Amino acid sequence: MEATIWLGTAFALFAIGLYCVSKSSMIRILFGIEMILNSGNLLFVYFGSVNHAAGYVDPLGHSIVIMSIVTGGCIVAVGLALIVNAYKQFKTTDSRELRRLRW
Amino acid sequence: MVISPALYFLFSPLIVGILGIIADKLKITKLREIAAILVSLWGVFSVWTLYTNGINAGDILVVTIGGNPPLGACFEIDAMSIYMGFSATLLSLLVTIYSVNYMEHDTRLTEYYALLSALTIGMVGVAFAGDMFTMFIFWEMMGIVSYSLVSFRKDSPGPIEAGFKYMVMGSIGSTILFFGIALLYGMAGTVNFAQMSNALHGTPMNIWLYLVMAMLIVGFGVKSAIVPMHTWLPDAHPEAPSTISAMLSGMLIETALYALTRVLYTLYEPTAFSQTMAVLAFLTMTLANITALRQSDLKRMLAYSSISQIGYMLIGLSAGTMLGVSAMLMHVFNHSLMKGLAFLSTGSLVHEANTRNIEELRGIGRSMPITTITLFIALLGLGGVPGTGGFISKFFLFSSAIPAGYVWLTVLGVLNSAFSMGYYLPTMYKLISRPLEDTKEYREAPISMLLISIILAVLVIWSGILPATVISMAEAGAEALVNNLADYIGAIL
Repeated sequence: MEATIWLGTAFALFAIGLYCVSKSSMIRILFGIEMILNSGNLLFVYFGSVNHAAGYVDPLGHSIVIMSIVTGGCIVAVGLALIVNAYKQFKTTDSRELRRLRW
Repeated sequence: MVISPALYFLFSPLIVGILGIIADKLKITKLREIAAILVSLWGVFSVWTLYTNGINAGDILVVTIGGNPPLGACFEIDAMSIYMGFSATLLSLLVTIYSVNYMEHDTRLTEYYALLSALTIGMVGVAFAGDMFTMFIFWEMMGIVSYSLVSFRKDSPGPIEAGFKYMVMGSIGSTILFFGIALLYGMAGTVNFAQMSNALHGTPMNIWLYLVMAMLIVGFGVKSAIVPMHTWLPDAHPEAPSTISAMLSGMLIETALYALTRVLYTLYEPTAFSQTMAVLAFLTMTLANITALRQSDLKRMLAYSSISQIGYMLIGLSAGTMLGVSAMLMHVFNHSLMKGLAFLSTGSLVHEANTRNIEELRGIGRSMPITTITLFIALLGLGGVPGTGGFISKFFLFSSAIPAGYVWLTVLGVLNSAFSMGYYLPTMYKLISRPLEDTKEYREAPISMLLISIILAVLVIWSGILPATVISMAEAGAEALVNNLADYIGAIL
């Protein structure tokens, strides 16, 4: 039961993230990427508390979560920098306007 | 013993960055470039040190950081890792030397060289990683650095658009990969390759293992441009500076393919993924070759050619035998030389003529003969003409599919390879044919750029005429992965 709730939440977050990514606003795409990453984080936290051998929570899962939050921060930083530059070039944050390159 | 490689890993972008800032402040010319070249030379020597320290005799080197494998991070270096690391650092050295003249009119060069060495470290780190999470960290390092390098010339809309597209697709891929790693952690209780393989390899396939395999293929496949996930590549490679195109096309997509191969072979039996990979190989090479035929942009045509070469490499992965993987590794090395050479020579042409359109480049070969000849060698090698490295590795790739039962794949591969000459040969013809109207005067590229092109061209021909060294190294790598998996697991447990 507990596993169903945790896994269900993680998969729901994953699906919401994928839905967000399919939108046209650049900021929303970046949010979607963060959501998918956080659904993975959630799974790591849950599995870390399940996979314990000696009565304590597995520190591996939790340390991975800390590191992956840092990685997510890097993705957001580079992504926001690209969005700022895209706004300077195209005067919009609508990703449908970025269609100079085709085929 | 491992001190020098460890220091290289930790400090090389930092050294380049700090020396670059000092060079800017004190106005010392060329200090930044010399530092970058020396650091990439250090990278080649580090990998060589590791290779001569037992890995050439078949040992597996394990370096743990912060505790033993279930908890600590871990590098596990075998013959296959060292092969990829050597290819990456060699290409990086040549590209760095080439950059000195190619990038001299750009600003923000300190950032450029620091990011270039960080990109190299990311690729070597993916090749050396001994657990999924270390691999993921280096994967992200490689990815994030390449997003910013693709959009390096941020003053024009093209690079920004290509970089944004690449960033979105690459990040979605790596986050899906992260989700897959989380599921694997739930199943195996660890993220270490050896321990995961011990827990999962050979167990009957169930729905979760198939789900994880799909996530791994999507996650790694986005960066290695397997066909349904390839759409970022034809935008990103032409818009990046030519040196970065050479790094991305020559090594980054192959590093992604290496990661896919390593993880699939460690976790699954080859029968589980063989047929999927065969279909993906067919799709990748065919669609990319057909699309490449109708390109008017020289670099974009080369980018599509990269995708089709990934398709050929997937044949080796789908064969599921040692022969297939060794052919794949051979093609990785040869492709890194050939595509590096193709993009660097194209860079010289584009640098001089300021256009990437093949029609407008018509006749440029008459005033830049040496660059054009090296480009010809690269294109002939990519098409698989005997006498170049491309022929040897393609021969091994196509013949590896027959014992695995994929005769149709061999036939289609040979047909595709012949078909691909349909866009290499007209390009070569246009480059040397008589110009249509006014003859513009072009100067031959500077000596350092020429020198790198000539070195790469000689290496391409060397690996075609005397392929024994490459074959033996690739076979050692494939044997370490496919046949001696028990040793790889035993080194940790």
